[in-house]
Amino acid sequence: MDYDVLVVGGGIAGMESGLTLGDMGYKVLLVEKEVSIGGKMILLSKVFPTLDCSSCISTPKMAATAHHPNLTVLTYSEVEGIVRKDDGTFAVRLLKKPTFVDPAACTGCGDCELACTVAISDKFNSDLVATRAAHIAFPQAVPKKAVIERAGSSPCNFTCPAGVKAHGYVSLVRSGKYEEAFRLHMEDAPLPGSLSRACYAPCEGQCTRDEVEGKVPIRGIKRFMVDSYYERHPEPEYGPPEARNGKTVAVVGSGPAGLSAAYFLARRGYGVTVFEGGPEAGGMLRHGIPPFRLPKELVDRDIRNITALGVEIRTGTPVGSIASLNDQGFDAAFLALGTMEGQGMEVSGRELSGVLESMEMLATGNAGGRMDLSGKRVAVIGGGNVAIDSARMALRMGAGTVAIYYRRSRAEMPAHDFEVQAALEEGVELHELRTPKRFFGENGKLVAVEWLSMKLGEPDASGRRRPVPEKGSGVTCPADIAVLAVGLKPNTRPFANELGLNRDGTIQADPETLATSLPNVFAGGDDVTGPSMIIEAIAQGKRAAFYIDRYLQGLPLSGITFDARLTSVDGKEVLDRGDVPPSARAPVVPRELPAAGRSRSMEEVEKTMTEEEARYSASRCLDCGICSECHQCVAICPAGAIHFDMREERKTLEVGSIIVATGFQLFDPKRKPEYGFGEYPNVITAMQMDRILSPTRPYNAVVRPSDGMAPSNIAFVLCTGSRDCTVDNRLCSRVCCMYSIKQAQLLMGALPLADITIYYIDIRAFGKGYEEFFEQAKGMGVRFVKGKVAKIGETLSGNLRIRYEDIHGDGGPVTAEHDLAVLSVGLSSNPEAFGLFPPGLLSADPFRYVREVDEDLEPGKTSIDGVFVAGTASAIRDIPDTILHSGAAATQVASFLQRKRAAL
Amino acid sequence: MSGKRIGAFICHCGGNISDYVDEEKVRAAAEKESGVAVAKTFIFSCSEAAQQEMIRTIQEEKLDGIVIASCSPKLHLTTFRAMAKRSGLNPYMYTQVNVREQCSWAHRHEREEATGKAIHLVRAGVARTRLGVPLTDLRIETTPAALVVGAGVAGMRAALALSDIGMAVYVVERAAEVGGRIPRWGRMFPNDRDGAEMIGTLLQAIRGREGITLFTDAEVVGKSGSVGDFSVVVRVRGVEEITLRIGAIVVATGFDPYPPKAGEFGYGLPGVVTLPEFRELVAGANGQIRYGDREVRNIVYVYCVGSRQAATEGHPHPNLYCSRFCCTAAVHTALLANGIDDGVNQYHLYRDMRTYGKSEILFEEAGRKGSVFVRYADDAPPVVERPDGGLLVRVRDGLLGGEEIGIPADLVVLVTGMVPRENANLVNVLKLPIDAGGFFNEIHPKLRPVETVIDGVFVAGAAQGPKTLAESVASSMAAVSKGAALLLKGYVDLPPLVAKVDTERCTWCGECEKTCPFDGAVEKVRQGEKEIACIHPALCKGCGGCVPVCPVEAIDLEGCTNAQVKAMIDALVREAV
Repeated sequence: MDYDVLVVGGGIAGMESGLTLGDMGYKVLLVEKEVSIGGKMILLSKVFPTLDCSSCISTPKMAATAHHPNLTVLTYSEVEGIVRKDDGTFAVRLLKKPTFVDPAACTGCGDCELACTVAISDKFNSDLVATRAAHIAFPQAVPKKAVIERAGSSPCNFTCPAGVKAHGYVSLVRSGKYEEAFRLHMEDAPLPGSLSRACYAPCEGQCTRDEVEGKVPIRGIKRFMVDSYYERHPEPEYGPPEARNGKTVAVVGSGPAGLSAAYFLARRGYGVTVFEGGPEAGGMLRHGIPPFRLPKELVDRDIRNITALGVEIRTGTPVGSIASLNDQGFDAAFLALGTMEGQGMEVSGRELSGVLESMEMLATGNAGGRMDLSGKRVAVIGGGNVAIDSARMALRMGAGTVAIYYRRSRAEMPAHDFEVQAALEEGVELHELRTPKRFFGENGKLVAVEWLSMKLGEPDASGRRRPVPEKGSGVTCPADIAVLAVGLKPNTRPFANELGLNRDGTIQADPETLATSLPNVFAGGDDVTGPSMIIEAIAQGKRAAFYIDRYLQGLPLSGITFDARLTSVDGKEVLDRGDVPPSARAPVVPRELPAAGRSRSMEEVEKTMTEEEARYSASRCLDCGICSECHQCVAICPAGAIHFDMREERKTLEVGSIIVATGFQLFDPKRKPEYGFGEYPNVITAMQMDRILSPTRPYNAVVRPSDGMAPSNIAFVLCTGSRDCTVDNRLCSRVCCMYSIKQAQLLMGALPLADITIYYIDIRAFGKGYEEFFEQAKGMGVRFVKGKVAKIGETLSGNLRIRYEDIHGDGGPVTAEHDLAVLSVGLSSNPEAFGLFPPGLLSADPFRYVREVDEDLEPGKTSIDGVFVAGTASAIRDIPDTILHSGAAATQVASFLQRKRAAL
Repeated sequence: MSGKRIGAFICHCGGNISDYVDEEKVRAAAEKESGVAVAKTFIFSCSEAAQQEMIRTIQEEKLDGIVIASCSPKLHLTTFRAMAKRSGLNPYMYTQVNVREQCSWAHRHEREEATGKAIHLVRAGVARTRLGVPLTDLRIETTPAALVVGAGVAGMRAALALSDIGMAVYVVERAAEVGGRIPRWGRMFPNDRDGAEMIGTLLQAIRGREGITLFTDAEVVGKSGSVGDFSVVVRVRGVEEITLRIGAIVVATGFDPYPPKAGEFGYGLPGVVTLPEFRELVAGANGQIRYGDREVRNIVYVYCVGSRQAATEGHPHPNLYCSRFCCTAAVHTALLANGIDDGVNQYHLYRDMRTYGKSEILFEEAGRKGSVFVRYADDAPPVVERPDGGLLVRVRDGLLGGEEIGIPADLVVLVTGMVPRENANLVNVLKLPIDAGGFFNEIHPKLRPVETVIDGVFVAGAAQGPKTLAESVASSMAAVSKGAALLLKGYVDLPPLVAKVDTERCTWCGECEKTCPFDGAVEKVRQGEKEIACIHPALCKGCGGCVPVCPVEAIDLEGCTNAQVKAMIDALVREAV
């Protein structure tokens, strides 16, 4: 037996019964789902009828609970299920939710809260103000430890192949922390400049804001972030790492995959040499993407992020074999050769001058060279991004006409539609359903192409409809240049004898570890995956570095997860949270060079956002995952207590008996739409008013929300959600009359000139000292009006028009104006109690409270032997009655355990 | 004689103190006091985080005494003593200074004066701590037995629960029969269970327990000893006296129904009865409700009789309180009446219908079954008359714009509340304080609702204040839980703040014994040649009454010595900064 008693719920009922049982000598486990014990009472201002400070009464109980030698407290934990065993004891399945903060290290200093870039509604202040995703629940929390609220990975963070924390840098830009944003990016990908221009931004494709009025322009924000950083830092801020491990790694290929692997390995202390066969480093960034999309100075600056770490890039140094690398003494190698060769086409006339591979033309143009295409008719064959880039490059090389020929239709083009659109705007023609049948030449030079017309047949393996030639459809058009952009492949021929290759020439590598058939050789990027995106190549390089490091440390490659991101948050859940700004906030329209003038210029087409636009755009982020993973808390925490890799923990314990102290729920006033809560800012709940009056109040004065003015004529609307069959609660909530009278008295102290009216059906002041408290309020001048409020409307000034039936005055319906209305919301049952047990086992009363099987003589006894209920889980009670009931439940448990002991 | 390192901790109590007292000034002043090694402020010194911080400070600064300026020691003395103990400091080297009730709350809107007073009080606290000495708790072995006074439903259920957890139990009932009020009241709300049957079940269970001894027709006439180890004298049938050794006492003496005065709402007129009288009538009814030889068709209930009374010249000490059970009891009784005779007309003249919680359902149902509810204003109570043989109740109906209506009645039921039971002897023996309404007073309605200022004596049921049956039982079992926590441990630690005799100086004049309010605390003993006073630490409550009466100044109070009090006075009268 692990514990004599499990208490579920750490409110006053749970604490009281737990403490009492602990005093009796029983070992008690108290499980609380929130981050702090204390329940709802700790949130109250004062308590009726003594007007004791609620904190002052709760805190000693909370401290005593935390320190009792017989009590173990588990906060932020849930009981997932309880099974009663044959011997009468219980098996309890527990879930400890991750706070992402090591409680042993956290000192509760609150620095993380100050650094956090994500604002969330402060539920401990009844949503009156904001707190941060990293926060301490409230000043008197027990334990007083920070928690980082994470709903999961934000979809943008989750979808990025390289794990770049888009949400993180967006929230940092939103907070004006541009340098921090850049540095965060550098934790996951070292080529932010290139990505800010040429990444296809899968993050944006997942952006939840797209469901509202348009996605957050994440790449555009990154572009602003990079530009402002590079402007201030022409060179990296760091040098080679001080700790070197003495091992060396050869990276073959200087494209995004190779550069990324080199970067991450160098940061881990490896000596890294990058071998590049060509004259310049950068791979596709350098050769494949035209400068009007990605200026080459930016590629140079990105590469300095890697070389600053001491990585040596040997250009003009092709690698002929793995053996040569072993001979040079490298401990491991990473092959990231890219796909720089055209797939080629088996078409008659392919050998004619004027028929080019796309990479020939792009590499020339990207290297600053020119092909003279003045006045020439250029036909580009293909439908991918390379085809588009080739066509646009041809225009800039002076071509007379440029036409793209694609064998399927525009809808099937692998190129991004916005790229196709840009090309069309610049004057490129698009011919769909065309494939070359023959190139015609004169004097060895291309003069015309015969095109076959195609039609779309059955879908192929890729799901796209297969193009099939239409019979007798040949048409011949004149052409001076034909550019083949029909796919790329790697040149792995030098390694064919040493490594396992696939039929298409790609290298065989384990998709998780990127290990090849040779133990110390890893491969990744396009030479393994085939042509892909930059960010995918970066992801491969990063992954390779992780596993190469493990390999070189002698650690097993299996049994570890490289990518341990939390699962993605569902966008629909985010929208359902209800905190999406109601007013639409239009996306910033991106600025570009006008299509007319740009098609002959290598100047970059897209423009960078202004700071204002970037921050506005970032502020449209919905914080899907709540925490953005900007890691500012990690950076600032003096105790090093923050661990993003913390995960849920589950265990099963055995206990002798159980107290269910799961408490109540507050009525949601939105279920009474006629009262206008959520619509009229000056209609608030009594819980909000209690927070406003509390010593740990959110504002330093009693103010109304709409304009921050001190209210002078306040109405309390009793029985909001109680004694009301329209909201399926016929019961009286017992405490609302009294807490409203309490608030009225406190308000009279805070605002001596204010008028306070309480609209009621019956004033239920029935406990010890309550009637006297009611009389005292009347004596202080609180107005009591018998009449249930039917409707609340709003005036232009934000005042409220309250319509009620005046029962004890002159009669009839009356409308009164107030400047603040407090809805005295009722309490209702918390169905969570029933989920603790197998369905139906714990019986409920007709009002969905835990049923006491003999409430007259056996308080707290439930339908399950050994399971007892304490406090408001079985009926609404005020605090004194809850304490008494909890004491009774403790006695029941003690009796039960003693009887069982005696029976043994 | 100091050389002590003292820590002064000043609490904001959220804004409770700091709104009216300049905490920083108090802290700065405290820091200058001789012996004060460190002075700090805290937002909530009782919070877990602040306590941790204080513990760290005590340990790092190697403090040997602390002063906390916060709220009343009633609230947090034990909290901070426990904290001191956790830090390794002797808990009696801690002084609590109350700057909330005595400064911020007493002197709102006088910030400067409140701050000045707080500074003086803190100085006095420091002065006391400077002269303090570490003290050790007095440990008392407890007796695993309990006494339950009163064998109503609360007392009987408490007895069974105490027996369940292994205590020997003595139940003392003044009446000849057990069960208190409910056996005669028939079916009880909300579950319609028969009162007599419930009591029968409990009695049978009690009789079946070897560990429970039940005395009826018996009274508690004497009590001595202290928490964990009391001796009580029980007088049975007016003659025989039995002495019992017990560790704890549960007082469950119940209530009396309010007895209306002659003429109060027509009481005394034929056909005007109280709710308990009507309950007996309904319980005994057979197919028809009859009063005397007449069939009852029209019943008028007048609520709040004996409850929620206003003070008037002729009635200066009214029952201000609400008796809480009566609204529900009345509508439930009306439903019982409907059940006997569907044809009765029932009119309820009420002020506020206090059918709280789930009892609301009974109110709803009574309305559905035909009960008519008429609300009367506080200042326009109904008038019950018998103008010409038949009863007539006149009342102004708010729903008719205050128009007066007359309701002819066969029976007027005065819905009477609860009053404290006449218990003068017991109150005297147990020395229990009572509240404004005359019910036994708990220490704190939320923190310690069943405990009394007499350690080891607990109150349960309606003796503490009006309650329903289920509430009485719950409170009695809560009392048991506190008793069990006390007795199951086997010992109790008492604060050692008791009077101590200087045996050299004492010449036994007997003045201390005469002034001591606690039986047996002072005893004359022989020491060598002379007789001197001996004070039993377990019985002494540390009230200090004996200290000033001693002509030779031979008595001092541990933890509050003459020297400490003088030092505090000196500190209090010193000029402000």
